[in-house]
Amino acid sequence: MTGRFTNLLRGLSAHWLGKLGVALVTSSFLLFIFLEILRLLGLLNNAYAGLVTYMTLPLLFVLGLIMIPLGWWLTLKRTGLSSRQLLERRFPARELEANIYGSGVVGTILLLTVLNLIFLGGGSARMLHFMDGAEFCGTACHSVMNPEWVTYQASPHANVDCVECHVGEGAGALINAKLNGLWQVVSATFDLYERPIPTPVHQLRPARETCEKCHWPEKFYGNRLKVIPHFVADESNTATYSTLNLKVGSGSGESGAIHWHVAEENAVRYASVDDEREEMIWVEWLQEDGNWHRYENRRRLGEVSGHEDARVLDCVDCHNRATHIYEDPEAGLDKRFAAGELDRDLPWLKREALGAILSGWSSEEAAQQGVANALTGFYRAEYPELAISKMASIDRAVESLQGMVARNLHPGMNITWGTYKSHLGHKADSGCFRCHNENMVDEAGQAIRYDCTLCHSILAQDSSEPFRYLMPLDEKDPEREQAEYLRREFLESGGGE
Amino acid sequence: MNKVLVLGSLLLMFLVALAGAATDPESVEGKCLTCHKEKSPGLYKQWYASEHARHNVTCMDCHQAERGDADAYDHEGGLIATLVTPKDCGRCHEKEMLEVDASHHSTAGQILESNDAYLAHAAGGFQAAIMGCESCHGSKVLIDENMPNKLDKTTWPNSGIGRLNPDGSKGSCNACHTRHAFDKAQARRPESCSKCHLGPDHPQKEVYEESKHGNAYYTHIDDMNLDADRWVVGEDYYEAPTCATCHMSATNKQTITHDVGDRLSWNLRAPVSKKMKDWEAKREAMEDVCLACHGQTFVDGHYYQLDGLVHLYNEKFAKPAKAIIGKVKELGLLENPAAFSNTIEWEYWELWHHEGRRARHGAAMMGPDYTWWHGFYDIAHNFYFKFLPEARHYDNPEVNAMVDEVLADPMHSWLGRPTGDIKADIESGKMPDDYRKLFNME
Repeated sequence: MTGRFTNLLRGLSAHWLGKLGVALVTSSFLLFIFLEILRLLGLLNNAYAGLVTYMTLPLLFVLGLIMIPLGWWLTLKRTGLSSRQLLERRFPARELEANIYGSGVVGTILLLTVLNLIFLGGGSARMLHFMDGAEFCGTACHSVMNPEWVTYQASPHANVDCVECHVGEGAGALINAKLNGLWQVVSATFDLYERPIPTPVHQLRPARETCEKCHWPEKFYGNRLKVIPHFVADESNTATYSTLNLKVGSGSGESGAIHWHVAEENAVRYASVDDEREEMIWVEWLQEDGNWHRYENRRRLGEVSGHEDARVLDCVDCHNRATHIYEDPEAGLDKRFAAGELDRDLPWLKREALGAILSGWSSEEAAQQGVANALTGFYRAEYPELAISKMASIDRAVESLQGMVARNLHPGMNITWGTYKSHLGHKADSGCFRCHNENMVDEAGQAIRYDCTLCHSILAQDSSEPFRYLMPLDEKDPEREQAEYLRREFLESGGGE
Repeated sequence: MNKVLVLGSLLLMFLVALAGAATDPESVEGKCLTCHKEKSPGLYKQWYASEHARHNVTCMDCHQAERGDADAYDHEGGLIATLVTPKDCGRCHEKEMLEVDASHHSTAGQILESNDAYLAHAAGGFQAAIMGCESCHGSKVLIDENMPNKLDKTTWPNSGIGRLNPDGSKGSCNACHTRHAFDKAQARRPESCSKCHLGPDHPQKEVYEESKHGNAYYTHIDDMNLDADRWVVGEDYYEAPTCATCHMSATNKQTITHDVGDRLSWNLRAPVSKKMKDWEAKREAMEDVCLACHGQTFVDGHYYQLDGLVHLYNEKFAKPAKAIIGKVKELGLLENPAAFSNTIEWEYWELWHHEGRRARHGAAMMGPDYTWWHGFYDIAHNFYFKFLPEARHYDNPEVNAMVDEVLADPMHSWLGRPTGDIKADIESGKMPDDYRKLFNME
């Protein structure tokens, strides 16, 4: 049996190209099997290994297969022999004898071809599977994708593969994605890509197909109580609280709340300046009678009024950073204080940490070192005793800040604080306030509602206690009227139930 | 029985209405504060830390409007006006409102007929007039129904001290009492006044900073007790006076006044200075302030010198210059028809409006450099080498005769004499003697 194979191999290696092909096919096949066994045994878990196993080896394998017939054909040309003559010259006569299954050679070739096809089929499936994995997207073009890869891993969607949201289903989407990928290989190789990568990603799959697989509108009901701690940049890092009872429901009509926008029966569409979804030109809301009720931005009157640039609002118009979440520097620090990574007993920590992370670092390495130097330097100079007695706290704070900086700052891609803004909430007049503001008015001059309690009750607002406005306030307290108003709103809106 | 029912239900309805009326404005207040704490946190925090907040004075107490007010608009359930006028402030601060209304400050907006406004509009331009003149003097606030707050963009924002408001009132309290803290200390500091009282035409800020008063203030700023409710000079503080001390604040004899002209005996703004109406009473009021720290003889000495200096300005330069330019105009000698289209008009303007005021204000508030180098030195240079040559260039016999007559006066005749003789006259006291009469003029 082995004799037949060695004969075949010898027979096919008439030309040096064929020889090389045979060597390539054999070695890549064996290496593939070897690496796959290692992986299955759990000995190989490097993310880059997939690039070799599932991309390089199958490529070499196919290349080898092409070289074998090419070598045969070149030999024919060089010697001027016919195939029959060459076959007779390269193979023992007994293998060329015809039997019921054709000659022995043909049988062997047939057998090997079937094996090749099985291997190639399996290999391609593994290759596609590998390319669908997050590791491939995140690490294959390391310098370009690293920021997205880092933020993705720290996100609530860290267990959802990139392709679930970024590539559609079916052959068309697959081909589209592969062609796109090909272009990305070119632009990464020849440095043609933009830094930072511009947003929004206009060709993202429709949210109805992706997000709603797991989060469908009927799931949004009731209220969600959220206490947001904030730490003041003073000596004792004083804690304050903003407590919101978020009306996250998706009901329609007047009873609707935040997710009203995505309820089945509602539709909203809009046009934004330069299609960037940052500043709205107009917004329309579908009425029961099928007409659209239009609100126009008083500050952008008459700029673009056609429907051609309209976008139908879906999840990502607000949750534009559901996964690649870049933090706000203050909020990010507050979160780490609340989690205990930053020790409130370190005087001026909020102020110093903010100063350290906001410095304009020119590289990832400089940022890591700089943040450490800034913090340890401050305590050594200003609080020498503390720098020793609280060394563990300071070290932990440094580690926490370095993690924060590594996640959010990517000088190589020109990504710094605020490069990618989140549209959730309404920080600095963005997010909800893009449409819900006094300048977005209809024909009658009526603005889209933008009062604070439309979307949330407020139980504390930078207050000393998390439920400040539910507590009895002193007659002299300047916030008395505000608290009274908010407490009543909370109770009347059913928040207390 | 029926009557009882009807009466009872009427009473019930009345009580419900009353309860509604009593709670409604409060809920609007709560709403204002809630949103603005988020949307304009700086403004909110200024208010939160203010005396107003401590005394439960909230948004609607100042910003409430009535249906029919030209600048009233509906905003989140409340009928409000952006503009807070002296009428609004006067609901609580009536005495202050009336004093300001009677003061020269409240007339500052009526400058459209003045030379200053003409010059800014003609030589400068509309925008320069808005952002220059009107920022201090006050605009005439116009209504624009298309604006969210109904205020015309060319006339608002404006917090000029003589602003002409749509409700007919004049002025803007926040010209001095910066919103939204309305901090006493801020209004008492000289910086409060020096938004406007500075520069080439009335450098009160610079004069104050040059003077010993300013010098002492900046040295002892922390001991000035600026936050105190009561602020009587000599009792609650004593290191130095600020602008407010002399022109407004209480002494142990006088109460505080918001009419800043109450203690001014001279009009030092005019081309030729004149004593104010009731100047004796006004001077007495100012002397009362001086006496908190100085003796009567010292104060008398200051006014003796100041009166002499104002007369010097009037007699030696102001009156002759005024007469000469009057004659030039009367004879129709100006080449161009428009006011300020001829060089001599600019020379004369700077002589009294810039240099002459610097000299007088410098002397009144003890700023030596402004009295002389920025003052009389500049006046003399202008008068001898710009204004008079410009008058002579018309080569008109009548004008020339006037100029000759002016220069023949003993105060000007030095121009034609040898230096040695003049120096001798200075040393011997003869030259000062020629000026002595100015001390005792009425």
